[in-house]
Amino acid sequence: MVKYTEKIQEIAKRLLQEEKVDVFIGYRKGTMPMMNQPVLITAPEEAARLYWDNFCGLNLCNYLTKRTDRIGVIANGCNSRNMVTHIIENQIQREQLYIVGIPCEGMIDHRAVMRAVHYKEILDIEQNGKTFVVKGADFEETFEKEKFLQSNCAVCTHRNPVIYDELVGELVEEQTDVSAYEDVEKVEAMDPEKKQGFFTRLIGRCIRCYACRNACPLCYCPTCFVDESKPQWVGKSIDPTDTLTFHFLRAYHCAGRCTDCGACERVCPMGIPMRQFTKKLNKDCLELFSWEAGLTLDQRPPLDVYRPDDYNDFIK
Amino acid sequence: MESVEGAPGDFTVTLVNYPRFIDPDVCTGCGQCAQACPITGVNEYDCGLGKRAAISIRYAQAIPLAYNIDRDICIGCGLCEKVCLAEAVRYDDRPRKTELRVGALVLTPGSKVFDPKDLDTLCCRESPNVVTSMEFERILSASGPYLGHLMRPYDREEPAKIAWLQCVGSRDIHRCDHGYCSSVCCMYAIKEAVIAKEHARGDLDCAIFFMDMRTYGKDFERYYEDARNKHKIRFIRSRVHTVDEIRDTGDLLIQYATEDGRLKAETFDMVVLSVGFETPRELIDLSRTLQLQLTEGNFCQTSSFAPVSTSREGIFVGGAFQNPKDIPQSVIDASAAACAVGEILSPSRHTLTKAKEKIPELPVVGERPRIGVFVCKCGINIAGVVDVDAVREYAAGLPYVVYAADNLYTCSQDTQDAISRVIKENHLNRVVVAACTPKTHEPLFQETLAAAGLNKYLFEMTNIRNQDSWVHRDSPELATEKAKDLVRMAVAKVALMEPLQESTLSIDQNVLVVGGGVAGLMCARTLSRQGYEVFLIERSNVLGGQALDLYQTWKGEDIQDQVCKLIDDVERDVRIHVYLSTELTSVEGFVGNFKTQVKTGDGRTSQIEHGVAILATGAQEYRPEEYLYGRDPRVMTHLELDRRFMAGDPALKEIQSAVFIQCVGSREPERPYCSRVCCTHSMESALHLKELNPDMEVVILYRDIRTYGEREYLYRAAREAGVRFFRFSLDRKPRVRAGEDRLEIEVMDTILGRPIVMKADLLTLAAAIVPYRDQKLAQFFKVPMNEDGFFVEAHAKLGPSEFATDGVFLCGMAHYPKSIDESAAQALAASSRAVTLLARKEFQVSGTVAEVNPLYCSGCGVCVEICPYSAPSFVSEGRFAGKAQINPVLCKGCGLCVASCRSGALNLKGFGEDQIIAMINEM
Amino acid sequence: MSEWEAKITTFLCNWCSYGAADLAGVSRFQYPPNFRIIRVPCSARVSPKFILAAFRHGADGVWVSG
Repeated sequence: MVKYTEKIQEIAKRLLQEEKVDVFIGYRKGTMPMMNQPVLITAPEEAARLYWDNFCGLNLCNYLTKRTDRIGVIANGCNSRNMVTHIIENQIQREQLYIVGIPCEGMIDHRAVMRAVHYKEILDIEQNGKTFVVKGADFEETFEKEKFLQSNCAVCTHRNPVIYDELVGELVEEQTDVSAYEDVEKVEAMDPEKKQGFFTRLIGRCIRCYACRNACPLCYCPTCFVDESKPQWVGKSIDPTDTLTFHFLRAYHCAGRCTDCGACERVCPMGIPMRQFTKKLNKDCLELFSWEAGLTLDQRPPLDVYRPDDYNDFIK
Repeated sequence: MESVEGAPGDFTVTLVNYPRFIDPDVCTGCGQCAQACPITGVNEYDCGLGKRAAISIRYAQAIPLAYNIDRDICIGCGLCEKVCLAEAVRYDDRPRKTELRVGALVLTPGSKVFDPKDLDTLCCRESPNVVTSMEFERILSASGPYLGHLMRPYDREEPAKIAWLQCVGSRDIHRCDHGYCSSVCCMYAIKEAVIAKEHARGDLDCAIFFMDMRTYGKDFERYYEDARNKHKIRFIRSRVHTVDEIRDTGDLLIQYATEDGRLKAETFDMVVLSVGFETPRELIDLSRTLQLQLTEGNFCQTSSFAPVSTSREGIFVGGAFQNPKDIPQSVIDASAAACAVGEILSPSRHTLTKAKEKIPELPVVGERPRIGVFVCKCGINIAGVVDVDAVREYAAGLPYVVYAADNLYTCSQDTQDAISRVIKENHLNRVVVAACTPKTHEPLFQETLAAAGLNKYLFEMTNIRNQDSWVHRDSPELATEKAKDLVRMAVAKVALMEPLQESTLSIDQNVLVVGGGVAGLMCARTLSRQGYEVFLIERSNVLGGQALDLYQTWKGEDIQDQVCKLIDDVERDVRIHVYLSTELTSVEGFVGNFKTQVKTGDGRTSQIEHGVAILATGAQEYRPEEYLYGRDPRVMTHLELDRRFMAGDPALKEIQSAVFIQCVGSREPERPYCSRVCCTHSMESALHLKELNPDMEVVILYRDIRTYGEREYLYRAAREAGVRFFRFSLDRKPRVRAGEDRLEIEVMDTILGRPIVMKADLLTLAAAIVPYRDQKLAQFFKVPMNEDGFFVEAHAKLGPSEFATDGVFLCGMAHYPKSIDESAAQALAASSRAVTLLARKEFQVSGTVAEVNPLYCSGCGVCVEICPYSAPSFVSEGRFAGKAQINPVLCKGCGLCVASCRSGALNLKGFGEDQIIAMINEM
Repeated sequence: MSEWEAKITTFLCNWCSYGAADLAGVSRFQYPPNFRIIRVPCSARVSPKFILAAFRHGADGVWVSG
């Protein structure tokens, strides 16, 4: 990982020096452990601030929307897929981007780490290949990375970037034997009442802070439907029906576009696993349209397309 | 029609109007009379499978929706007259004669289906479970005698096994003297089998007994493949000679011979006879009166280059009277006939048009809604179930409602006058009518609003008859509550309605025709004859297209003669501008105002401004890679053989043995469509070879012979001339070897069950027809293309010669492979569709269109991508550059973009987000 | 529970299903009065927001037909 950091710094410095880009977007080490932050640098000397490890869970695509300058940006699998979606949806031009591809090994779930050390204060984390060491004032524990991956990363089949101009390292081997939708299948098998109970409990804690929406690169509308007043689609309170309406519609807006980057869950202050909604739609897109978001620049997501000669049986 | 006198441009037609004993202008179609009528008769529309009263409508969708008394069974009891509040009954109605003065006539009398009752071996007299395909259509219909439940007539049980017998009354000169193929039965039998499977609750076994499967239409071959592989319909190649009823069960025993000569018997629960077309006796008599020439099969005679002109000048024909044909072909004919009429009558276009008086609109924007609600009793149709007084009272208390009334018939003329007066007196600025269906009556009330000076969109109609009183007869209280809900919803919606503007668009009177083959030439000639300037673009350096290489039409006409004449007409026409060796480089604009850049062979570019465009870019013959083609000079394609015929090649006479192989490159996995014309072409060529040398051995190797319609006579003639036929299947295609002195062709003989080898001096390949796949052209005009590379029309059945994109039309082989007469007909059809726009000179756009709020737009482009009509685009400059905009001219008001817009930037006027939500909220 | 009746919000396409509902009337087919029909120019007009709004307003079922 340190190797990646050095390489990223080197590339950013070069791009800025050669004036190939006006800005470089990456991560810097967070002020707290496990909380790396997005950073935009515009001068070669700032390149040293760039950093990469397994806690870069926020989606950088958010910072690309509607920019008009030339941008260098780092991208792992899911981030690069969101860039593809951004390009298709006219939020950025491909020519504006210099994409520094990062073959990704998955992000570590900071909540799981905190749980593992019983919520004791963590002062530092040291990463050593397949393991990492969590250090506190009076403790030091070593864990296996594999077991602490974010749940989306654990089942990720697109770790390598889809589009890039340069790579920071060798492509990693893609996972193939993962069953990505076990959790969704479990919900699908429930009877309607149980399902309703499941989703009601799932969003029971939601405080409607919209952090999930704000962290999501797909949510770039000038005015979100939750803020519309004529007509008002969703009430402002935390009435469970309103909250459910919000989550349903947010997920629906992501159908065929979500790359399961996990930013929404990562930023949720209440720890709500709202990927249950988007994953179901991802699964449907895969099964009904053989579609995974952000893999090609040539085709728009299935819900954006009108075809009179739809070849699927479910439309007649 | 009794007689036709006079000449083209001035005919006098005498018509006899048979009495219907109901005044159709007064009848509201409410149906009270039929409920009162004590008489029960046979429902002819349901093919005798259902019943009706003596006073009836033929079918529920009939237009006009007016009743008719069957005086043959009516007992004159007077009940219908008593219950008819509209006073529409006229017992003393008499036949009337009408004289019409017209410039031209179009005959579209259709055909009748063959009555199989005399085919005694098919058991159709004895067993109710042997039905015709028409009867089976009624059985499957949701509005039919069994409400769409699959049942057999004998015991109303659901059948588990159904057999279809093809060619009943067609391709049969022994039992019914119908040597022609009826063209449509193979396809409808497959369709009926697929739908029957959908309707069946149990596992339904469908078997279709056929001789040749003739799925030659666009996308039909795929449908056939799906029926076989996906729906597991069994296709049995055998003509069934006998059907026997099994006495106790009503089941039917079918005995048949398989292709390899074995005899088999199988029992079915039901048998459907796929009956064909037959010109009825009266029509033959009428043709005689009109002095029209008929064909051998009693269809109306036409020629290939004038496919809708009868033998009598000024009289045109279309549909199944011209030849057996399906819906798209009939629709093409209909438009073509209209075009042919336009050619002779265009000078008198618009001479009888009257302009409507325009009443200035009252300003209502910004005013508080003042809503008037009119609740209709519809005689007792609504009032008999719904408590109309209660609904009116309720409406009066709703927000913004300042006036509420009820009417006996809200649609009557005096009520229109009253509504108009009420609007003015009460300063109403919104109107709700709670009555029947807006589908038939909305325009009437909108006219009334306009007459009172209100924008016609400040109106909402809610349906408390068809969707309330008529369907909830037994729960009057709940029906009344529903009516109140519906009125409340309508009031909530109309309160949010704003006046909408219908913008006007002028239509440039020039036409761009792309493609200079037969289709394009026909378009250019007819449009010029109707007074329009035509720009004809051809990519090659000659006009004529594929027809230049064709010898004869299936009717035996010399193609070169006709094509030369056509080219000559076009080249000499001052209104037609021909651009050879020319390609399109860009297209801007939309219906009414296109700007197209073209580049000619010498590199010069020019711009053409035109109101409409017709794409007639054609297709070409496939270059085979199989069967030694290109490696042995004795192997050639149809077009190459035709060229030799035209050159009068003396070597052809010396040939001792000629073989044809069908479906070369067609009906194969990589090209899964039928090229439609090749079977007929092989028959013609085989017959011509036989003519050159009657002793020549001629063999046709085929998969299914698809000589549809009266082309079937060629197949018969070929057999009579001694041409031999061997069938092969896709998995055992023939093998061709270059022998020492002659070609050796090995084919599996299905009867012997072993391969046989034949020697040939000439092998003709019926090569597929492949489209040009002009992606650029498709993008220029924003028109779709299917997987095979043919353009996709607006509607496979009802819009075969136009695109969903307004102002762009389609004809010829760019649509699908077709013969010259079919291309000519479609060229006229596409021109006719173009003229419907051109003749109007300007175009009124509906007010119900989408609009964009650019402040909400994220520029994601979903709307641009998803719209089938290319109405949305991006703003190219200014403050809102990159945001979406809607072209109201192209918008059809479907709302697809609105529902797809995540940002909420789009709205549909007249069906606004706030309006629909208001209705949901009031529910 | 025996008195409970479902409330169904129905969106019908003007060109097909709405016409079919009219036809059901012409044919005098009888069915329970639990529907409230909203006529739309095309089933494509029905946004997922409408469906959720109908449920929010107490619909027990939403039927989109076109």
